[in-house]
Amino acid sequence: MSTSDPSKLISKADKLTKLSLTRWSADWKSATVLYEQAANGFRVARNYEKAKLAFEKASQGQEMLSSPWDAAKHMESAAALAKELRNWAEVIDFYRKASELYMQCDRPQPASDALAKGARALEDALPDDAIQLYTDACVILEDDGKEQMAFDLYRAATSVYVKLEKYTDAAAFLLRLGLAADKCNARNSQCKAYLSAIIVYLYAHDLKQAEKCYNDCSQIDAFLGSDQNRCASKLLSAYTEGDVEEIKRVAQSSAISNLDNVIIKLARKLPTGDVSAFKTDAANEEEPLDENDLT
Amino acid sequence: MTVIDLITRVDAICKKYEKYDIDKHKEANVTGDDAFARLYGVVESEIDAALQKSEAAATEKSRATAVAMNAEIRRTKARLLEELPKLQRLALKKVKGLSREELEARNDLVYSLKDRIEAIPDGSTAAAKQSGGVSGGWAASSSYTGIKIDSSSEEAFESEYFQQTEESDRFRQEYEMRRMKQDQGLEVIAEGLDTLKNMAHDMNEEIDRQMPLMDEIDEKVDRAASDLKSTNVRLKDTVNQLRSSRNFCIDIILLCIILGIAAYLYNVLK
Repeated sequence: MSTSDPSKLISKADKLTKLSLTRWSADWKSATVLYEQAANGFRVARNYEKAKLAFEKASQGQEMLSSPWDAAKHMESAAALAKELRNWAEVIDFYRKASELYMQCDRPQPASDALAKGARALEDALPDDAIQLYTDACVILEDDGKEQMAFDLYRAATSVYVKLEKYTDAAAFLLRLGLAADKCNARNSQCKAYLSAIIVYLYAHDLKQAEKCYNDCSQIDAFLGSDQNRCASKLLSAYTEGDVEEIKRVAQSSAISNLDNVIIKLARKLPTGDVSAFKTDAANEEEPLDENDLT
Repeated sequence: MTVIDLITRVDAICKKYEKYDIDKHKEANVTGDDAFARLYGVVESEIDAALQKSEAAATEKSRATAVAMNAEIRRTKARLLEELPKLQRLALKKVKGLSREELEARNDLVYSLKDRIEAIPDGSTAAAKQSGGVSGGWAASSSYTGIKIDSSSEEAFESEYFQQTEESDRFRQEYEMRRMKQDQGLEVIAEGLDTLKNMAHDMNEEIDRQMPLMDEIDEKVDRAASDLKSTNVRLKDTVNQLRSSRNFCIDIILLCIILGIAAYLYNVLK
């Protein structure tokens, strides 16, 4: 049966499901079986368009048979084929549908996995949609209380933001990662996330933001006593002194080399722009303080 | 000629040529009112003694005796340096019978005396340089800016106390090389430890992440196992029922009857 022509199978299955005078109720069971076989046949024959269609119909059939798990699985296969065809709108659509079906089965983990797969497929073509998918996936996991699985998703989303050069958003995401890490007591990841956020702010040449971020993070005990804290303070003091050599030296240190690859690349490119501008700012700030002390 | 005659004759000749006797003149000078010249003479003789002792210490084989002699020399030097200010004051005082040039010359004499005293080798300069280098080195390793302190103190040593024996020089160089190598090795170790620490932390988090998953798996497998057990029991019951001895005997009897009928039919038809 599986060796017969897939298109014949499809037409047969279609006939089974189409309601007409002779047929008063669609026979989804056998139709679904035929659809699945047809889809596999098309996939082997590398006829992606038809295979995608067949998977869609198979998924619909499974839904009718009220087995959302199989339906979701078929949806995912359809989405993977859509990715091959570079039909991005359909990719988004299918992965979202698959994720909803997984949620119906009460399985949030495969749901977020489906969204993550969609996001990864879209990273190059539609980065904004990719970020949306990543965010949704993270939300699903956080609702379920499984923040630890979300770390990888946060990191991937951050790298997409950095590629888009949206540094404030990237830093915000890193802080969210830090928050998630805090909830599950993953101190090392938390400190690394904060250090990465500070580096992203410095790369955007925004010393004020970076310092504010550093002050905020210093409120947290776990960060205060960590290696990453010392590295961050060294980096910020090198910036305020305008010492380019020191900045380069700190960027080579081991605390930074343990971070994500994307962040390491940013750190090696520091300092961006004119560091001596910060030095004069710092000097100007000190004078008004002195006058206040005298009075 | 008897000995007494010889001695008398020598005395007579010495008296005749007394004015050519420098040492006596010096003593005569010293025993005069000139306090400066007296003190100067004393200091000079002590310097000579100290120099002789230092030469003996340099050639001394036993370390303990050498150290003791060096200590003695150092004490003498310290005492002489204390007396120098007194000498200086005396040098400025005017003494009758002395020309003005000689007065100024006395000041210079005092200064040169100071240099001569300090130049006496006492085996402590090499050690001082080493200890200075070591303490400077410790300061350097604690912070990056400390390296500057170390180099300045070294320069001071080399300009003022340029008294290095070849041995101390070599020793110092070897010490520096070894210290550098140790620093390099320690840096490599530190980097490796940092990497290890990071990896260990990551492993810790990963295991924490997988713990609840393992718990879930455990639970699910337990449920599946109990399901299987109950199914097995039911299956055993069913099969037993099917293969109960009563049914089995009835099956065999019926089989024999059928075989009997078949044999009878076979016989009849043959």
